[in-house]
Amino acid sequence: MAKIIVVTSGKGGVGKTTSAAAIATGLALRGNKTVVIDFDVGLRNLDLIMGCERRVVYDLVNVIQGEAGLNQALIRDKRVDNLHILPASQTRDKDALTSEGVEKILETLSKDFDYILCDSPAGIERGAQLAMYYADEAIVVTNPEVSSVRDSDRILGLLASKTRRAERGEDPIKEHLLITRYNATRVDDGDMLNLDDIREILAIDLLGLIPESEAVLRASNQGVPVTHDDNSDAGQAYADTVSRLLGEEVPLRFHETQKKSLLSRMFGGGRR
Amino acid sequence: MSLKVDRASMAFTFKGGMLPMTVMELASADPERIREQLSGKLSQSPAFFQHTPVVLSVEKLDEPHLALERICAVCRAHKLLPVAVRGGPDPVKQSAWALGLGWFPPNDGARARTLEGVSTVEPSPAVPEPSPEPASTASGGRIYRGTVRSGQQVTAPDGDLVVIGAVNAGAEVLAAGSVHVYGALRGRALAGIHGDTLAGIFCRELRAELLSVAGNYKRLEDIDPQLLGTSVQVKLCDAQLGITSLS
Repeated sequence: MAKIIVVTSGKGGVGKTTSAAAIATGLALRGNKTVVIDFDVGLRNLDLIMGCERRVVYDLVNVIQGEAGLNQALIRDKRVDNLHILPASQTRDKDALTSEGVEKILETLSKDFDYILCDSPAGIERGAQLAMYYADEAIVVTNPEVSSVRDSDRILGLLASKTRRAERGEDPIKEHLLITRYNATRVDDGDMLNLDDIREILAIDLLGLIPESEAVLRASNQGVPVTHDDNSDAGQAYADTVSRLLGEEVPLRFHETQKKSLLSRMFGGGRR
Repeated sequence: MSLKVDRASMAFTFKGGMLPMTVMELASADPERIREQLSGKLSQSPAFFQHTPVVLSVEKLDEPHLALERICAVCRAHKLLPVAVRGGPDPVKQSAWALGLGWFPPNDGARARTLEGVSTVEPSPAVPEPSPEPASTASGGRIYRGTVRSGQQVTAPDGDLVVIGAVNAGAEVLAAGSVHVYGALRGRALAGIHGDTLAGIFCRELRAELLSVAGNYKRLEDIDPQLLGTSVQVKLCDAQLGITSLS
């Protein structure tokens, strides 16, 4: 049986799709058979981030409506063998998703895969609720700013009430906090919320902290998940995140400003 | 919020308030029957009849014309002070105004509580109260464990609410009795939602968006910034919310 993990946030633009792609890649690189599903019907992005946009023939809605088989719609990743992508439809809207259809797809995929990642759309409406409904675990992506934290808080409330596990009274969904676009310098300057404040408000386990990084934008535009860029800070931070998701203990990195060198301190310069 | 006028130059300020008020629900429009019953009550509990303000509710009566003047006279003779009339058709409204009484629209029924005899009536402001202790009703209380998150609402409609955790911004906790938060209170807390003026709000870390006891409220910007982040209790004194530190 696969573990179903939803990547969600409430707020848009915080890095859900980037994180879903990076974590799915990381899981697959460790030998886990992984599929990542784009639930953002109408605003398909995951295929671009994964660099498979030219290979999309059928999509999630086609499968739900019986116009294509699941195997026809699944796209095998070019770089990692164990990784598959199920793209969203760009021409339909979220009403095309049905609860039964989603359940059937997840059930079928569960037999063949170790991990199913559901890349949730922003918001708290139908698309987002269907993406989280069948999940076993949730990765809540949050930026260090008040609006993002409040929206994540709202999503955590929904995870505790509007999911199958909650409705059936089963063990609650395991919630993980993933902080993205963290800029330690700006946190020190008071421009951004700091790590401890976010953890205190949301009161869930920290899965990872991804520093704000040029590597992320580069990776998105090239269609190569940032996990492949092991030289970059963001790539390493996602690798740490995947390790923690797999139960390993990894010390937190990138949450403190680097000590300035003697020279830059003498000349007081440096980038801000 | 008061205007920025020199306080000394103001003759008065208007303030919203919810005072406990005895409602006299009339089941009969006959002044003689009212007189009889009042005489009986007066001998039972004389302490209650000390020019106590009452609202005459005529909602249950189906009479277009009332001997309102005579009913008022009977009340005054028994040291009850009618201050307003609630309900009734237009002629009743007009005669209430003519007698110098206020008029309230009929109750919507949701909050209507019939008071069984004057001895169980809530203390009116005319009667000196013993020092108000927060009324905690053991029955109907509710304990919530965990964080109350943005968009969530936790209610204890019949008693006290205890939250073992934080109440986050955008969340709302309500109780008929008192609200206790063993954590940070960042959202909205409303105690005494059915008008219990003895209810209070207690929290470990005050960051609330809104505090309300029996309809009297304070917003975050009305709260003394020095109290923010501290452990406090919120109680109603003289129809004003008082926030005092517990630490």
